[in-house]
Amino acid sequence: MPVAFDYELCDGCGVCSAVCPGDVIYMKGERGEKLPFNRYPDECWHCGSCRQDCPQKAITIVFSPDMLCI
Amino acid sequence: MGKNDQEPIRLKTDVLVIGGGLAGTNAAMGAAEAGASVVVLDKGKVQRSGDIGGGVDHFMAYLSTGPEWDTRDAFLGYVEKVGRGTNHLSHIESLFCDELPDAIERMARIGNPLTQPDGSFYRTKSMGQPGPYWINFNGKLLKPRLARAVSKLGCKVLSRVMTVDLLLDSGHVAGAVGFHVHSGRFYVIEANATVIATGNTNRIYENPRGNPFNTWLCPYNTGDGQVMAFTAGAALTNMEYMRLTMLPKGFAAPGFNALTGMGGRFMNSLGEYYMEKNHPLGNRAPRYACVMNSLEEMRAGRGPIFIDCRGLTDKELDHLETTLGYDKDTLPDYLAQRGEDLRKQPVEIMVSEGMQAGPTECNGSGIKIDGNAASTLPGLFAAGDAADHNRCVHGAVTGGYRAGKSAARHAKSLVGTPREPATITRGRMEQFMAPLHRESGTPYWQIEGTIRKIMSEHVGMARTDLGLRTGLQKLERLESHLDDMKVSNLHELMRSRETRSILTVGKMMATAALFRTESRNRPYHYRLDFPETDDTNWSGLVVVQKRGTGFECSLEHIVYSSH
Repeated sequence: MPVAFDYELCDGCGVCSAVCPGDVIYMKGERGEKLPFNRYPDECWHCGSCRQDCPQKAITIVFSPDMLCI
Repeated sequence: MGKNDQEPIRLKTDVLVIGGGLAGTNAAMGAAEAGASVVVLDKGKVQRSGDIGGGVDHFMAYLSTGPEWDTRDAFLGYVEKVGRGTNHLSHIESLFCDELPDAIERMARIGNPLTQPDGSFYRTKSMGQPGPYWINFNGKLLKPRLARAVSKLGCKVLSRVMTVDLLLDSGHVAGAVGFHVHSGRFYVIEANATVIATGNTNRIYENPRGNPFNTWLCPYNTGDGQVMAFTAGAALTNMEYMRLTMLPKGFAAPGFNALTGMGGRFMNSLGEYYMEKNHPLGNRAPRYACVMNSLEEMRAGRGPIFIDCRGLTDKELDHLETTLGYDKDTLPDYLAQRGEDLRKQPVEIMVSEGMQAGPTECNGSGIKIDGNAASTLPGLFAAGDAADHNRCVHGAVTGGYRAGKSAARHAKSLVGTPREPATITRGRMEQFMAPLHRESGTPYWQIEGTIRKIMSEHVGMARTDLGLRTGLQKLERLESHLDDMKVSNLHELMRSRETRSILTVGKMMATAALFRTESRNRPYHYRLDFPETDDTNWSGLVVVQKRGTGFECSLEHIVYSSH
């Protein structure tokens, strides 16, 4: 997954999902306990906006083997 | 899902801006500061949408500091040299040069100056420039700052709304229709002036890295604005140019301009510095020349190719390390995860995917505009990569603001003019939503993958009359399958609308490329059957327009006098 969430740090504020320019990150779970996930991982542009804007610093960008190894 | 049983949300405004990227936000500022009410529509969220959503590190400008190269005249001479026959210099003067001092001041005013912390400009030279025109700066927060500036001016910003149709009132563009990609609710925005700032077209050629979203420019920019303008009757130009650039292998991140700007050298697998051998300007040659020579190295079997930065000073490498992540936030992570170290070894690079975008850094491809950013349709303006006389960061900031000012002036001139109320029929809304309700059909990605294959095989780097005709026929055949597309949710509906735009842009590119029987800015337009550049007959813009259900091309000659 391009965007790795640390769910220990994440407080479910939803900023990552809101700013994602590709509509890639969605929130799931019950009201008040929603957490982000990569709904369309193949469509991520790796722009890093989610990581920059995450107030909890809970996001790491992980590149896939095809991008790292060709 | 797809609440087309509900009435659309209706808004009225002086100026509507479609696309809230760098050009769109500057257009919104230009219009609002001229006293207009403004609505901005964006498929994403303006804080981080568009090509520079995650950040940017360069802005091209002359600063009139004294040296001969640092003047307006020298800059225009450069624009003419690299983009001969692809732009009107008078448009570049009004859209860029006249707006430049205010643009530099505005960047500082919104809290994102182009200067270093000590107040100086850090300038580098590449791409055939006569002097260091690139200003290197920290633009990581530029989009959030622009979003704040736009809100402060009272503009109404609607996020996650994809615009699908322009509204026309007796040939005058009167606003637009869009749908919300999460709720499916339709929006009808009535406007006296409309600015299209939706960027270039990506995902249109096969991606050498596999994933079609692994693109240099924003993969969510898919030519939607150009196609809406074209469908409404506007003229487009420079559509024949297939833009390419040089990128890190495996990740289509911008930012490597900075490497050659600071002294990085293109190297083949024999250890030869091929640009130094093949071009008088060496590694600082115009971009298309770097691309052409890199392709030749690969074709001759001398790949892989690299950029070698080992000759840079420690001070320069320190600066690079700091700023690489300004242009693409995640590029330092990528290089680290891949085990690359600029200081110790050459970094492998590759030629990018093709895209529809301007043939140089100084002029664009798309909606035909005049020196005030007005299109050929009354009430319609364009800016940024969607327009034919804007490109790159500097073009979006200056040309965007000019488009906003011009749109505001036009809107004011129409106050009191009676207008038919803009609307969308229930039938049209149902037509948009139909892919959601099909029992079976073709997924958008299958159609889109086929477009990319056709474009790469027949409308790519080496073009011929028969090849282009074959490509056009195939695109037309594929077009008959667009109405078979089935999507399972609104996100996919958005993607399927993008697929439609990409196909129409592909047809425009093939048609214009077929018309231009010469080569220009190779490999961006390279005809194997007409390999020479013919300035006598072909200096000018190929204008593409809709005629009935087809396309019509004509040449608008450009004659250069001075510079």
